[in-house]
Amino acid sequence: MANEIPKNLKYTKDHEWALIEGDTVTVGITDFAQSQLGDIVFVELPEVGSELEAGGTFGVVESIKSVSDLYSPITGEVIDTNKDLEGEPEKCNETPYESWLIKIKCTQTADLEQLLSPEGYEKVCEE
Amino acid sequence: MSDLLETSLSSRHQDLGAKMAPFAGFNMPLQYSSVKEESKAVRESVGVFDVSHMGEFFVEGEDAIKFVDYMLTNDFASAELQKAVYSPLCREDGTIIDDLIAYKLGDKKVLICVNAANIAKDYTWFEKHVGDFNCKLTNQSDDFSLLALQGPKSEEILKNLEVFPGQEFVYYSACEHSCSYGDLILARTGYTGEDGFEIFGSHESIQKLWDDLMKAGVVPCGLAARDVLRLEVGYPLYGHELSDDWTPLDAGLKWTVKMTKPEFLGKKFLEGYKPRYRLVKLSLDKGIPREGYEILNEQEEKIGWISSGTMSVALSKGIGIGLVEKDKFPENKVFKIKVRANAFAANYHAKAFVAGGHK
Repeated sequence: MANEIPKNLKYTKDHEWALIEGDTVTVGITDFAQSQLGDIVFVELPEVGSELEAGGTFGVVESIKSVSDLYSPITGEVIDTNKDLEGEPEKCNETPYESWLIKIKCTQTADLEQLLSPEGYEKVCEE
Repeated sequence: MSDLLETSLSSRHQDLGAKMAPFAGFNMPLQYSSVKEESKAVRESVGVFDVSHMGEFFVEGEDAIKFVDYMLTNDFASAELQKAVYSPLCREDGTIIDDLIAYKLGDKKVLICVNAANIAKDYTWFEKHVGDFNCKLTNQSDDFSLLALQGPKSEEILKNLEVFPGQEFVYYSACEHSCSYGDLILARTGYTGEDGFEIFGSHESIQKLWDDLMKAGVVPCGLAARDVLRLEVGYPLYGHELSDDWTPLDAGLKWTVKMTKPEFLGKKFLEGYKPRYRLVKLSLDKGIPREGYEILNEQEEKIGWISSGTMSVALSKGIGIGLVEKDKFPENKVFKIKVRANAFAANYHAKAFVAGGHK
């Protein structure tokens, strides 16, 4: 099973990835996460404008047989959600690093330093 | 993990890359390739499940049929020889100990197949009552492996392997059958709603058969796909729709309680029983019902709960079975399901979600 970990992203121990561009952070689930979940059939995302806290839940991703919470990697405000996933949740399986879930405007830059490097995340996957 | 029991096919599952999970004390394959692909294979072609965790009891002797008929709520006595009967197993107060299939292999020989989680509980119950009858009860669960070969092409597969007993072997037939794999017990039963067979045999026989099924291209299927398939056709699962705390009449199983029988365990109580619950089948256009979610009426008052839920592969939407308090059952059949913070309108299904193709 391939477990691809792109070098340009940051990660969380909850198997999410974060792309940092200025104060905008794009969040998705990793290849490892999608392979563990199996066929993803439903994604529930927050409303644009929702305030998120680092470590708090912001939605769920459901496979045929399971429901998993999604955790916000940082504190901030939801500025966009990926509407395509409503009709095509399987995209999270097919292209996990392109199938972003939400974009957050980061309000506490210190949160960014808590995120894992690709090397750090690789260790989490090996545990 | 060391406390978990393994089936005789465990190493084969691991070689196939199955995702394993504990189930009823056994280390069982949850899925191999994908739940979607596996359930599709069973609906459209053929798949095989290792269900060796299930329990096998034999009842042999003059009173074998009489004893089993007394223990079960369904009518076993009138079933023809070499037929299988599905039935709940109840206490005197009507509560459900388990649901099972009894196979009338001969006029003095019955096989009973029970849920893995209930083997000890069921055996104790049978043992407690067998003394009044002239027959012998044995628990042979450790000696048998069991495969469920399911799907429209399963007859063809068994014919090719020269295991098919003949054209008269129709739905719910059961027989002992000797073939190149050894002495097997075959039944045209299953838990998917499709045509298919359950095949009991020694560990060695079943290992050999499994290997040949794999060579023949039969898709190995895990317990996750099994659960999706049984839910799509509305079959109950012990611990979900059936429980120690209510009766078959609460769970849509009135057809398995035969009041016309002269006597059976639980009859006295069930005759005068007014059911507390009513089983409902609901689907959602958005979201997926999950076990424990609340079922609400139009006014969004709680009237019941989802006992099993999943994403249906055949329908591509969320489906669930639930129990609703009988006196709160809404005449307008307007139901909602509480999914996290939202109450979603649910579709009420009078029939199974999927018809299934069994003959």
